[in-house]
Amino acid sequence: MIAAWYGIAAFMLIVYVVLDGRNFGAGMLHWLVARTPQERRQVIAAIGPLWSWHEVWLVAFGGTVFAVFPKLLASAFAGYYLALFLILWCLILRGISLEVGGHINDRMWQGFWDFVFVLANSLLAILFGAAAGNMARGVPLASGGTFSMAFFTDFAPRGYVGLLDWYTLSVAIFAAVALAAHGATYLMLKTRGIVHDRSAVYARGLWAAAALLMLVISVESAAVRPDVLGHAIHNVCWWLGLLLVCVAAIALVAGLATRREMLAFIGSNLLLASLLATSAAAIFPVVLHSTLAPENSLTAYDVAASPQSLAYAAIWWPIGFALAATYFVFVSRRYAGKVSVQRDNQGFY
Amino acid sequence: MEDASFWHRLQFAFTITYHYLFPQLTMGLAWFLVYWKWRGLRTGDEEYNRAARFWAKIFGLNFAVGVVTGIPMEFQFGTNWAGFSKYGGGVIGQTLAMEGMFAFFLESAFIGALIWGEKRLGPRYHFLAALAVALGSWLSGYFILVTNAFMQHPVGYRVQADGALGIDSLSTYLLNPWAWVQFAHNQMAALVTGSFVVAALGAFYCLRGLHPAQARLYLRAGTVAALMASILVAFPTGDQQAKMVGRHQPVTLAAMEGRFVGGSMASVALIGQPNVAKRRLDNPIEIPGALSFLAYGHFGSNVEGLDAFPRDSWPDNIELLYYSFHLMITLGTIFIVLMAYAGFQNLRGRLESTRWLLWVLMLAFPFPYIANTLGWMTAELGRQPWLIYGLFHTSDGHSKVVSSGDTVFTLIGFVGLYLVLGVLFLFLVGREISHGPGDVLSAEPEEEPDL
Repeated sequence: MIAAWYGIAAFMLIVYVVLDGRNFGAGMLHWLVARTPQERRQVIAAIGPLWSWHEVWLVAFGGTVFAVFPKLLASAFAGYYLALFLILWCLILRGISLEVGGHINDRMWQGFWDFVFVLANSLLAILFGAAAGNMARGVPLASGGTFSMAFFTDFAPRGYVGLLDWYTLSVAIFAAVALAAHGATYLMLKTRGIVHDRSAVYARGLWAAAALLMLVISVESAAVRPDVLGHAIHNVCWWLGLLLVCVAAIALVAGLATRREMLAFIGSNLLLASLLATSAAAIFPVVLHSTLAPENSLTAYDVAASPQSLAYAAIWWPIGFALAATYFVFVSRRYAGKVSVQRDNQGFY
Repeated sequence: MEDASFWHRLQFAFTITYHYLFPQLTMGLAWFLVYWKWRGLRTGDEEYNRAARFWAKIFGLNFAVGVVTGIPMEFQFGTNWAGFSKYGGGVIGQTLAMEGMFAFFLESAFIGALIWGEKRLGPRYHFLAALAVALGSWLSGYFILVTNAFMQHPVGYRVQADGALGIDSLSTYLLNPWAWVQFAHNQMAALVTGSFVVAALGAFYCLRGLHPAQARLYLRAGTVAALMASILVAFPTGDQQAKMVGRHQPVTLAAMEGRFVGGSMASVALIGQPNVAKRRLDNPIEIPGALSFLAYGHFGSNVEGLDAFPRDSWPDNIELLYYSFHLMITLGTIFIVLMAYAGFQNLRGRLESTRWLLWVLMLAFPFPYIANTLGWMTAELGRQPWLIYGLFHTSDGHSKVVSSGDTVFTLIGFVGLYLVLGVLFLFLVGREISHGPGDVLSAEPEEEPDL
């Protein structure tokens, strides 16, 4: 039961990253792929109608973790206090820049909100990447299951670590590059003309860079957490994840090489999803690793709600998810195909 | 660390109060959009579609600010209230997750279609999108109120071996009688806000002589809905809410009324200031027996005063609680009188020509926001010193690892960011109002221009 809930929570986080990751990526590349106001409206139209639908997966993930792993939320969120508020403020600015940017058809107004959009999305990609690095590396968890940490200490991933060290920074850089590549793949699928052509070039270059960084991260991870690999090879989900990574990579490369945009985009989604799934399987059952003493680490079993709470959640969660999947089909069908600046705007100008 | 607890409370109070300025309009306005889309679909009258299209823009801005200010609320359970999350997360996590799964998914999947998608969707699907968003927003309200009702009147839980709470019966938890009463009261209050805002804009356009057909539509729909909602918010929902407080939190009722000494023929104070140090109400003007009647149905009923309860079980800010409650009641009464008069003038066909009334209607729209806020202050201050009534003290709830300095820092950050958001929101809504409702929808351009 608890392992299944761990899988569900991981799945919801993965859906969030895959969905909102395209917005982060498109946001980071906004200035590079789109240079005139008209081109930039294309990028905004590709994201605008859907950002809240994507962001809500983060809320649903958070709510689900709260319901099934309340002590994890309590321990991790309080420990990451300042970093989380930085993420929250960036999320606020990202949403607002999308919503208000289109309200006034004015160069300065839109230029300013484009700037906020680029800045917030870039910071979000880096911060979420650093957060992923923290999950893998661990936090200075004391015996009571609580921790608090600085933004950075001596940049070494041992003992009293900070939010940023050389390992989490490199994960953050990888995340930014991979999400930018994901965003470029999405824009290639959704846009036309020069924006499309530039996105296609960026997609190829960025995915090549991401592949290289992926190798570096794998080696680093093995060095920082040597215990994980020995543990993971006994987990069948980890092997399945690795298999999916290979399939996704082939689909992505084939799609990019043969200019089949949908195939490349599916490969891109699947690649991010399977990378995250593999990582989630590798660290299970530890949800919060202690860099101070292994016995302080919290497992999914330590932080789970009562069996009865989990049983109740197992009744309503599938219903809620089935409904969400229905909306997903609706949304995907309504916004299938290339965007149209005339049609996919809020009608303000 | 009383100090740290104070800052955590202040941050939550500030962020939730600010956040709730937006959903209360969303929840009220959503049904106007549904109504107008429905009328437009049935009658083919383009005025209704114009109204829906115009209000959808204001709705969209409002919704966006609601979404971005709402996400910090969920995070703060973990960041600021780790003690509470550890203790009660096994119960309240259920409804917070359900809100995401059942309400937010529904709302957010269709809000894009509602705001951005009229041309893509066509009238029938666009109406359904409005309906989905309205249902989602009310469902979301219900899950939040179940969560709050658990904190006011915990039911359906069990204390586990480790001391934390777990769900014992999900249906008991979800069907908490407190939640039903509070939901009815709160949703009617949201409708009051929505209808006052619609009426105010109608009054403004009327006074200005702008968009006369639209102005008439807003004024009539707004004042009629406002009258119904204002009555329902007081009776039966407000009345039932007060009885619920009297039944389950008698000390809270005594504090709300500034009733330091108990007895029969309990009076309601129209005017008076609680003097907690001297334990009396200064210069009161009272209606004898009214409180006994309202709380228990008989003028002779005994209503306990604060003296019947130990000092440490009293709400910790009796003055603020008392003023919040009384001002809310006063405003609610004025709303009924104002809208009843507007309804009377409407029947006589003089609603649009009574200029002083239009001025009052135009300037009245902030007051439902104030009344809603005061109502929530009454609920939350009245619950103190408990975070979960009778089970868990507020002073045990905050995150012990977060220093008060960090909390003050993030609080100031929120104040600054929300100030900017507020200015931006008002500027853009003001701009939409000055543009006014547009003309009929232009035909869809078939081809993209060359890029």
